[in-house]
Amino acid sequence: MTIVQIIEGPLWYIAAAVFVIGALWRIIGILRLGRRTDLSVPRSAAFPGAVKALFRHMLPHYGFFNRTKLHVFAGYLFHIGLFVVLFFAAPHVAFLKEHVLGFGWEAMPHWAFIVSAQAAFAGLILLWFRRIADPTMRQISDADDHIGSWLTFIAMLTGCLALQESNASLRALHMLTVEIWLIYFPFSRLMHAFTFVLSRGYTGIVYGRRGVTP
Amino acid sequence: MRLILWVSLLVAVLAGALFANTLSPLAVSSAMAEESVPGETLGNESDSDLWRRVRRGESFTLSDPRLGSGVLVQSEGEEWRSIRNGLVSWYGGILVLVGLGATVLFALLRGKVKIEGGRTGKRVPRFTMVERSIHWFVAAVFILLAISGLIILFGRYILLPVIGPSAFGAVASAAMQGHNLFGPLFVVGLVVMLFAYGMDNVFQAADAKWIIKGGNLFGGHAPSWKYNFGEKTYFWLIVMTGTVLSVTGILMEFPTLVGELWYLQLSTILHAVAALLVIAVAIGHIYLGSIGVEGALEGMTEGTVDENWAREHHDLWAEKVMQKMAENEPKGATKPAPGAAE
Amino acid sequence: MTAAKAVQAFVDTVDAAAASYMEACVHCGQCARACHFYETNDDPRLTPIYKLQPLVKAYKRHKAPFSGLRRMLGLVPAEVTEDELNEWSDLVYDTCNMCGRCTLVCPMGIDIAAMVRKVREGFVAAGIVPEGLTGAADRAINIGSPLGIKPETLRKIVNEQVEEVGIPVELDKEGADYLVILSAMEILNFYEVIGALARIFKQAGVSWTISTEAYEATNIGIQMGDKEIARTLVGRIVDAAEKLKVKYVISPECGHAYSALKWEGPNLVGRPYSFKVVHILELLDQLQREGRIRTRGKDARRVTYHDPCQIVRRGGLVSQPRSILNSVSDGFVEMKNAGVANICCGGGGGVSSNPRAEDYRIRAFASKKKQIDDLQGVEALVTSCANCRNVIEEAIDAYGMDLPVLGLTELLAEYLEPDGGGEPAKPAEA
Repeated sequence: MTIVQIIEGPLWYIAAAVFVIGALWRIIGILRLGRRTDLSVPRSAAFPGAVKALFRHMLPHYGFFNRTKLHVFAGYLFHIGLFVVLFFAAPHVAFLKEHVLGFGWEAMPHWAFIVSAQAAFAGLILLWFRRIADPTMRQISDADDHIGSWLTFIAMLTGCLALQESNASLRALHMLTVEIWLIYFPFSRLMHAFTFVLSRGYTGIVYGRRGVTP
Repeated sequence: MRLILWVSLLVAVLAGALFANTLSPLAVSSAMAEESVPGETLGNESDSDLWRRVRRGESFTLSDPRLGSGVLVQSEGEEWRSIRNGLVSWYGGILVLVGLGATVLFALLRGKVKIEGGRTGKRVPRFTMVERSIHWFVAAVFILLAISGLIILFGRYILLPVIGPSAFGAVASAAMQGHNLFGPLFVVGLVVMLFAYGMDNVFQAADAKWIIKGGNLFGGHAPSWKYNFGEKTYFWLIVMTGTVLSVTGILMEFPTLVGELWYLQLSTILHAVAALLVIAVAIGHIYLGSIGVEGALEGMTEGTVDENWAREHHDLWAEKVMQKMAENEPKGATKPAPGAAE
Repeated sequence: MTAAKAVQAFVDTVDAAAASYMEACVHCGQCARACHFYETNDDPRLTPIYKLQPLVKAYKRHKAPFSGLRRMLGLVPAEVTEDELNEWSDLVYDTCNMCGRCTLVCPMGIDIAAMVRKVREGFVAAGIVPEGLTGAADRAINIGSPLGIKPETLRKIVNEQVEEVGIPVELDKEGADYLVILSAMEILNFYEVIGALARIFKQAGVSWTISTEAYEATNIGIQMGDKEIARTLVGRIVDAAEKLKVKYVISPECGHAYSALKWEGPNLVGRPYSFKVVHILELLDQLQREGRIRTRGKDARRVTYHDPCQIVRRGGLVSQPRSILNSVSDGFVEMKNAGVANICCGGGGGVSSNPRAEDYRIRAFASKKKQIDDLQGVEALVTSCANCRNVIEEAIDAYGMDLPVLGLTELLAEYLEPDGGGEPAKPAEA
């Protein structure tokens, strides 16, 4: 078995398994802690509040936009770009169809891929720069923040370097970095891609019960 | 920290294994053997097969509407090739080495430019978060472009003999894809930079005095606003070469924008010349901005500089900023210091 | 050993919600931009999420998923030390009002304000609490009020108000519909509110009383993070209300008192109440809508409204104070970010009872001042929290500003239609 075959074969399955099991373990580990029933009399229902908060915190709050615009701009740029690339790049759609899901969907054209990848790179560079340049960001950042940023950057970069789709080594390099990223994911802050539902939801329950419209 | 150790260990092992593999052409081809279509992964016919058919007198229908695809042999191409791979590569390479050499020479002769009055500990704001973000964004993109661009131009002389054709094929393909991807980001960065820094880089009367004194590169003191004459020159050099790079780069990335192949050939030459020029000068900029001048880098990282640094390097600007700071001091109202200690 | 107690309390206090908050944080630093203490000090330490550090460390070391695996690899954070707790004390107690603006701005929706409360619980377990707060707690437990107001004092003040407005107030009246409780600050500084309530309730025909056993609404236990004290104080109100068989308890113009009684109280005493908790603003708004309060004339001054965080952002009462204010004011203008995003007075969450925090508190008011200054000339500031009112008055003095601060209930009472028509009401503060 060549190294390329290992990367695209067993290592892929190991990485995917670590990712899925690890992420589930962590989410169950959080939920398992449970919450005591709230005995106070709610002003309005909790569940709609949770749903509202889930979407409300996706948008910058009107009261703060002016103070956070650089971060909001870079954050959107990166996340939207990454999301689009992840799920609509032609090679990704084909890969998900053949190896993961069994069904596919319309992939985006090449130019759209380039634009969204560029947005993702631009956003990530700006976000990471802010992390190292702002004293406040330095104060609250730890190794995990930097490793997560860099692994994501490298995984994205190797993907884009393999764009010519003419070289198995380049493709395998991208696979390898993505596998490292997947294995790192459940143990790191990258998990926020899932845990945001919990944190926004729990706060939304409080909003909902108290009748607060954030 | 221990986490970094574990992760880097893992990365090193895996990447090492892959890299060893890349070096061996056999392994790559054995991986390719799995592909259903023989030859390249894209399934194209190999060049030699094609030429064989041409020699046999076969005729072809043109399905590819791209620029120049109807031309079988374009003799100017040879001329272009010899300029790009000869003249430009040779003298351009020398230009970059000259930039490097001049910087080293300056470093040896002048040494580190120190803050003469020493550090006061008082800080003066120099670059806002947005200004710094723009700078480092362009810097990051510039470095990625420079590395990939240098591989595209010089890789065949420097990398190919070392790592072999198979691995170089991968590296060159990666370099080109990366270059094409990051190129447009540089165009955006350039435009933003022009708006963010342009006003302060307009040449002023004080710059004439700076030229006469030769700046403070050689030990003297020369007047300067926010940017001195040298910095302004560098800025406009970036703008000009950047414009050339942007325009020619876009033409190369979207070749159908122009109707003539000749434009593209000219574009590659201009692109290379402008790039090598700006890389040569950027080496000096990077040196002066980082280790060459004490206290300079802080302006771009922390956003603030020492008061004495500001006075020594940008006296006119420093005076104005400090005056503004004094005006903004709170007056009258209670503004107690934090903590009960004071 | 103190640190160990804190760590145990930290670990115990983490439920699924708290855990998801700590797991979801991406260290983006947006919360800093929402904090008036950060804004007015420009100190990275004051970043709201950073204030939770001791709790986060204890959680990651002892309770987080994978903490066992991480411990084996040496990847868990070090144990929290006593020095660390002391170092964090000013972040946890002096520079946080638990006002919840950080919660609002957080892209992950992390309720940082609620988490600071949990951190304080650990500090209480370790006994690292500012003296101002422990002193207030002692007085609340032993005398009945954090400001040391005894039942006799209350009687005296109520009697003065009865004479002032000429309406009798029956204390400890069994079977009344509403039990009024008051914040210490109201009883001592803003006692006119008692007279105002008497007049409003007389017109609206509301049957009400004040208990001499539980007249204090503020809950220092909630502010300092001591569940035992909080439970005792809420328990007093519950006992008195049940003894007097009232249908409602009115939470007064006081922010944290409302949170304590309405949202946390039932969970502290461990059972639902036999009465309903209604905030004075809710009640006044309802009486107005039912036509039971009739006003005449309007205040012509240009006034603005300061939203007390626990009543608005954390309490959900946004429209009620505005409709009450609009009914008696012609010149009501909103501050920028009014409503849920309004900036805190700087004194909530026990900061105003903590002398150590005074510098921080006065400085934090600069954020509020900017909001007021941006309106370019208001003639009065209306609010509905006695603590906000007191804190703002002190800060206004410190900044040399000239701006009267009014309580909403009292303002409404000024414009009540006099019995049987009569002469128009006088303008406030005239």
